[in-house]
Amino acid sequence: MEQSSSSKESTIRHQFDWICKLALKGEVADYHKHLAYRQKHEVTLSELSKKELSKLFTMDEYSVENHCFQVLGYDVEVKDALIAEALQTLSEKKRNVILLSYFMEMSDAEIAREMNLVRSTIHEHRKRSLELLKNIMEGSTDEKEL
Amino acid sequence: MRKNCKPMNEADLLPFHIIEAASEGDVAAINAVLKHYEGYIASLSTRKLYDECGQPHYCVDETLRRRLETKLITKILQFKTA
Repeated sequence: MEQSSSSKESTIRHQFDWICKLALKGEVADYHKHLAYRQKHEVTLSELSKKELSKLFTMDEYSVENHCFQVLGYDVEVKDALIAEALQTLSEKKRNVILLSYFMEMSDAEIAREMNLVRSTIHEHRKRSLELLKNIMEGSTDEKEL
Repeated sequence: MRKNCKPMNEADLLPFHIIEAASEGDVAAINAVLKHYEGYIASLSTRKLYDECGQPHYCVDETLRRRLETKLITKILQFKTA
């Protein structure tokens, strides 16, 4: 079927118009879908919970910044400078008891076995040491406040 | 069939020589096509926005308008007149 040149041109003009309008409508639909997706998934930083916010960054930890104590062949790292300082002032035995029970999470009986002492002695050491630590740390924070 | 369901005035269509030139990448012709669909694009990219008081405002979404323009240009260049 032979088409005349003018009707062929007319067909193309219609086709072109149709294609353009269809493409534009499709793009608008895409854009609205995109907007809906963003609305569903985007959250402002201020609306994030503390837990979610903490996932967004990491803090480097350097072992040189921590104080290192050696107890019965274990290396115990203490991150808090204040606690480390307080521990430093205790006698070695008392410090070991504290480190083993609170940093290595050992029971009094286990510590007693390791240190060749009686369990009640360890318990006594621990109680005394905690009181000492409390005094030392309260003293040093008071100084800071002054 | 399309002509039947959507009567189109011939005068509303772009002249053939412009379509032909635009599809071959002629800048002036592409601009003419963009100009031709300018109003249609503007009406498609108009969005109803609400201010703090809840009053509706009609605004042209510039992002969408740019996207539509870009889409139109790609379609023009894809078009085969033959």
